[in-house]
Amino acid sequence: MVETATTGSSDVVYEAVGLKKEFDGGKVAALRGVDLQIKQGEFVAIIGPSGCGKSTLLASLGSLDRPSEGTLTYRGQSIPDMADPAAYRAHEIGFIFQAFQLLPTFKVVENVQIPMFEGTLSRSERRERAVELLKSVGLDHRLNHFPSELSGGERQRVAIARSLANGPSVLLADEPTGNLDSNSAQQILELILQLHRDLGMTLVLVTHDLTIAERATRVVSMRDGRIVSDRVSATSTAAI
Amino acid sequence: MTFITIVVRGLLRRPVRTGLTLVGISIGIAAVVALVGLSSGYEKSMTEQLDQIGVDIVVSNMAGGFLPKVFDASLQGKIDKVPGVAKTTTVLMEMQSVEEAPMIMVSGREWGGFTWDKLTVTSGRLPRDGAEHAVVLGRMAAEVLKKKVGDKLQLEAEELPVVGIVDGRGVVENGAVILSLQALQEITDNAGKANFVDVRVKPNSTKEEVSRICGEIKKIFPEGRAVVTGEVVSTSQGFRIARAMSWSTSFLAIVVGVLGVMNTMLMTVFERTHEIGILLAVGWKRRRIVYMVLCESALLGFFGGLIGVALGALGVWVLEHTTGIRGMLEPDLSPKLLLTSVAIAVVVGVISGVYPGWRSSRLSPSVALQA
Repeated sequence: MVETATTGSSDVVYEAVGLKKEFDGGKVAALRGVDLQIKQGEFVAIIGPSGCGKSTLLASLGSLDRPSEGTLTYRGQSIPDMADPAAYRAHEIGFIFQAFQLLPTFKVVENVQIPMFEGTLSRSERRERAVELLKSVGLDHRLNHFPSELSGGERQRVAIARSLANGPSVLLADEPTGNLDSNSAQQILELILQLHRDLGMTLVLVTHDLTIAERATRVVSMRDGRIVSDRVSATSTAAI
Repeated sequence: MTFITIVVRGLLRRPVRTGLTLVGISIGIAAVVALVGLSSGYEKSMTEQLDQIGVDIVVSNMAGGFLPKVFDASLQGKIDKVPGVAKTTTVLMEMQSVEEAPMIMVSGREWGGFTWDKLTVTSGRLPRDGAEHAVVLGRMAAEVLKKKVGDKLQLEAEELPVVGIVDGRGVVENGAVILSLQALQEITDNAGKANFVDVRVKPNSTKEEVSRICGEIKKIFPEGRAVVTGEVVSTSQGFRIARAMSWSTSFLAIVVGVLGVMNTMLMTVFERTHEIGILLAVGWKRRRIVYMVLCESALLGFFGGLIGVALGALGVWVLEHTTGIRGMLEPDLSPKLLLTSVAIAVVVGVISGVYPGWRSSRLSPSVALQA
């Protein structure tokens, strides 16, 4: 087991012990026993080559995928055994994907409202909040555009606004700048970091871009479904 | 944006396919409206007709099917003696192909009987007596047969003069060829026979008295039936068959509609696997996704139902105004039938959405996102 950078149990958001994930009836092992602890307010970058299992780990944290073995908890509660995983996805976490994952037939302001249907806001409150969120990501001039009418950077801003719809405490980002040019990538990264700083959100970000990982407070490096290093800040990236 | 906006947006993604599915359901519902509307319209006008003439009880031997078997007209004399009976009259009724009309009702009525009383002569006259071999035509029958007073009408082997045109205030009477019982008995070789005895009970008879009279008649005529006017149509074998046929044809059309909607919704769910993955990833509950699919299919059903009702009503209107049929139909497109049809369409929609909805709820978010 790789020594983790953070220890102790106070403010633990995620804890994985011996986490395994297999596909195709065991033919493909994406996670081969991951032990990891993430604390409140941390910015953890998960890095590693393609196919190392970093996205699978993030999907497990987001309850999009069910682990095959091991335990995985969110604030002490087992994620695979959650009675209402949808409520966890809707209210506790915000997901940002590499491919934006916006609904093409809905306008920008509507896309941001989609997760709010699991909340208690009224129709006008939903719209008001969506406008407010889009304003905070600098897209208040694009409210009534369709995703296809936006640039990659703008689409990712919409996705970020959507991820904040129900005020989550954790942001899970899977290669959020992977589909963007360097200029847009930089802007998106700054926006995500600002959210992490200003809102005190726990941020788990998967990337294979070392310059992005350098900005994290902690860098977890994976290879072949295992964590091979877990270090604080730039020192860990230098070791890869 | 409301949940319904999301549902409608789902349907508008593929307007052509949604449109074709609507056509599919609406044809099924149009069949319901047209077939059931026509058969119940006929039942209704038959009942109204009997009411207008003032018939309280109809005696017949319904074993024959659509029209009853003939029996000896002397039965009338026995029924006359039943206490509580005021008047009786005998009728020989046949459905015949007359000249160019494929099927028309030919009604031979006892001369002097009360069934003649409500006929208003609009041109010409009634037959002079029971022995005269002459016919009067209901207003619409005259139109269908293209006859006027003075023309000849071929009935079986005999050519009879048309002596009058009458208005009987109902589709059954107005669509009939009417002549005296004696004349029809002679023409059809049914001497001394009839297939109905219409009974009028004494005024102010209670329901119990009427049913007692029915019981007495049943004793006199065990192989036949004595039915209170209001129940004649609902207990008639012929009408039951017609009703069953119209509903079963409608049912088949509805089954086709169900398969159409189910196919569309399954295609929708397959096509939108990725979108469903997004909805699951942002926290939508599985039951909300099932509800979304069900609402989409119910909405398809609802609009299909509305279009179907309009199509059915239009189809009936076209039939009503088609030469050769004109005047023979009096459809009953009651609000109840129209509402029932739309309700059937919505139920069809919901049923069709159950399996696709269930499929969509089984998707794993991560797998769906990769689709």
